[in-house]
Amino acid sequence: MTTAPTTRVEREDRREYRATRRRDLAVDLSMTLATILAALAIGFLVMLLTGNDPVQAYEAMLTGPLDRSFRVGRWLEDATTLTLLGLSVAIPFRARQISLGAESQVYAGALAAATVAIFLPLPPVAAVVVPMVAAATAGAGMGFVPGAMKARLGANEIVATLMLNAIVVRVYDYLVNGPLKEPGSSAVHSKSIQQDSVLTPLTEWFGIPLGRANVGLFLMLLTAVALWLLITRTPLGYRIRMTGSNPDFAEYGGIRVPRAIEWSFVIGGAVAGLAGAHLVQGVYGRLEPGLAGSLAFEGIVVALLARNNPLVVVVAGLFYSYLRAGGDIMEQQTDVGTEIVVVIQAVIVLLVTAQALPDLLKRRIARRQRRQPIQGDAR
Amino acid sequence: MNESGNGPGNRPRGEAAGVDGSVAVAACAVTKTYANGVRAVRGVDLEVPPGEIRAVVGENGAGKSTLMKMFYGLEQPTSGEIIVGGRSRTLRGPASAIALGVGMVHQNLMLVPSFTVAQNVVLGVEPGRRGLVDARAAVETTARLAAESGLAVDPKARVDEVSVGMRQRTEILKALHRKARVLILDEPTAVLTPQETEDLFAAVRRLRDGGMTVLFISHKLREVREISDKVSVMRAGSLVGTVATADATERSLAAMMVGRDLSLDVGRTPARPTEVTLRVRDLAYEAATGQSLSEIAFDVAAGEVVGVAGIEGNGQSELAEILAGLRRPTVGSIRVGGTDTAGLDVAGHRRAGIGYVPEDRLHNGAALDESIADNLVVDRHDRPPLARRGVLHPRAVRAHAERLIDEYAIRTPDPSVPVRSLSGGNMQKVIVARELSAGPRLLIASQVTRGVDIGAMRFMYERLVAARDAGAAVLLISADLTELLALSDRLLVLKDGRLVGRFDDTAALTEKHVGLYMLGVEHHDREQLVAGLDDAGEAPAA
Repeated sequence: MTTAPTTRVEREDRREYRATRRRDLAVDLSMTLATILAALAIGFLVMLLTGNDPVQAYEAMLTGPLDRSFRVGRWLEDATTLTLLGLSVAIPFRARQISLGAESQVYAGALAAATVAIFLPLPPVAAVVVPMVAAATAGAGMGFVPGAMKARLGANEIVATLMLNAIVVRVYDYLVNGPLKEPGSSAVHSKSIQQDSVLTPLTEWFGIPLGRANVGLFLMLLTAVALWLLITRTPLGYRIRMTGSNPDFAEYGGIRVPRAIEWSFVIGGAVAGLAGAHLVQGVYGRLEPGLAGSLAFEGIVVALLARNNPLVVVVAGLFYSYLRAGGDIMEQQTDVGTEIVVVIQAVIVLLVTAQALPDLLKRRIARRQRRQPIQGDAR
Repeated sequence: MNESGNGPGNRPRGEAAGVDGSVAVAACAVTKTYANGVRAVRGVDLEVPPGEIRAVVGENGAGKSTLMKMFYGLEQPTSGEIIVGGRSRTLRGPASAIALGVGMVHQNLMLVPSFTVAQNVVLGVEPGRRGLVDARAAVETTARLAAESGLAVDPKARVDEVSVGMRQRTEILKALHRKARVLILDEPTAVLTPQETEDLFAAVRRLRDGGMTVLFISHKLREVREISDKVSVMRAGSLVGTVATADATERSLAAMMVGRDLSLDVGRTPARPTEVTLRVRDLAYEAATGQSLSEIAFDVAAGEVVGVAGIEGNGQSELAEILAGLRRPTVGSIRVGGTDTAGLDVAGHRRAGIGYVPEDRLHNGAALDESIADNLVVDRHDRPPLARRGVLHPRAVRAHAERLIDEYAIRTPDPSVPVRSLSGGNMQKVIVARELSAGPRLLIASQVTRGVDIGAMRFMYERLVAARDAGAAVLLISADLTELLALSDRLLVLKDGRLVGRFDDTAALTEKHVGLYMLGVEHHDREQLVAGLDDAGEAPAA
């Protein structure tokens, strides 16, 4: 069989394909930027309408987090947890599994890390590593339960993960209020972890006050790269991608789809468990009630914003945390409440997750660009 | 938007104005560019006078479906004009096309399965008043239309219980009920037996004689020659030319379509079958939905192509999926080259040397949003040279893809292109490239040329024969009898989940003769079906 020589039409198509790819990327990037600006503009209007000074508020929000070094620290510390949680759902999302189980996994991870770090005496390096391994294992276990229920029993993963969340959060509350509560303390929290188990604060490294930010930040970056490698450079990642893209095709190709689904849950769970370890060993140094706040669900937003690409999740997580941190500062310094940040975040999420908008724009551009050369051809 | 002034007095505007006589439909310098950059139609001028059967042929991706969609309002031209009933029109959707008397019967029939034939025919334009549907009038209207046009249907039967042929006739009646003056038939014969095709052609001729304009899209040049008055040939989005059918041969049309001389006759030497590769005995399958199978027994030897004929839905899909490991048989034994595959999973089947080209490539033949490169490695992504020690090497995957793209002449700008953007023929080449490059011992090829252009079709034929000559056992399942007779060394016929025919010599077989077995008019008795098979009882102990 001879390969057909490339025709004029084919070369044209090739050029067009490359041009389309470049244009699509440019559209995607500028759309994201435009989305953020649009969201800020809406926030601006809302503040005007509610009789506030938007310029002052935005100044506080957008420059505040970088104002002082400890504020930078707070941003980075928050971003570390948030990004890990975003990564933890991005992996099941790649297998097209709607896992909402980050909450149960992060609390299970926190419990495991704290239990080891409080009660198990260990030599220096192991004192940091073993609690984290315990946390990842506990999170992975919490991922395995709904994953296996979905893969083997056909349970709905949304229901399974939500119910497991409800159970684990209650168990966590019970343990923090009861067996693990620090004896003799009036406040509800556990004993502090051993000093050797603490993730080194960045303050010690850089010599400037960076709040509670710690080496967990680098751990998070490593995790993101590792997950990106997993997805793009391993057979398991390939299986997860194909399962998510077309499970019928994956099955036809000899991939054991239930295994791929289970693995996606387990890996995601382990990462969420690490987020729990970060909260315990890096941020709070002990168990506190509701220590993950709303981060588990905002992780889902971050994953969606990043279209489940682990490296982009880092960017999205840093950005989203920046808005959170800025909102807090805005609330402290002006009369505007953090609600406005929630509005801005919501608008961004709506616009970015609504894929129709950029696609519409691409189509428009394509039509306008092509009209002229084609009329030339048709002549 | 419902312009209805289509009187013959209105001369078409633009270039078509200079032509004598009226024009039923026309395209005037029409170009269509899709949003993803695909230029499907390039400056096409096409005129079809009333009362003509015009065939439009071309390779897949030549733009004929897109052109038809523009006539039917499903797509809008990027530039140029669509002329219906003598005037330039802007068709915003099928509703405006229907209002102007344009009807279309799609390749995938679009009927409500739980409605009766009559209900489907009148759907949207129901007789009756005050929002109530007059059921009796619907049946009468349907029966009258059927009698007038010669399209026999049972108006009271439910659509999901009637044959594919009757469903298609229902679609045509639906267009007639909406007073179509122009009828677009998109690959109408793909799902029909030879007998049903003849009936359809008779009805279409009768419609033509009544003044109907028919646009007939097809890949099958033989049928085009039989039914059409004129043939318009498209290639790569442009109209290559229009010829009177009487002046055209299959060969000349094919040459116009692909731009060079090409025929579908593959030089096929007689098969030299050696040892039995696939051995199926007493196979039965209870299907919850779909067709059950029973008492299936046959052999396929290395170095032969065994065809499986049958009207679609008679168990071919189930048989193929069982052999490929996607379904578990209820009873029976299947051995492939000495391996008992009945209890293995899909990966086990693939390890046993089974390749499978699935009948519906969009369903499970490819991950449409993933790249060509990724689609080519699904069965081998976890072993050398692509993966070593748990690491998948993207560069190796890409090199592997480039090699197969070259070897199988897959037309794409880059291996990273998502499969979704390929034409049907190229998509199928990706699948065939993957399955054949695995070097299968048994290849199950299901509807391997469905929706594929003639160039790709010939390519598939050559590859199948080459695989056979290289010692593979090929089980060819197809709804296209011409294809089966052209390629099969032996032929089996399935009907209602049973083997009803077995032809060990296909040289003298005619399509009509096989059609009788497909329809159940004739069948072979059991002795002939199992003749020469070794011990039809249980498999030898391992």
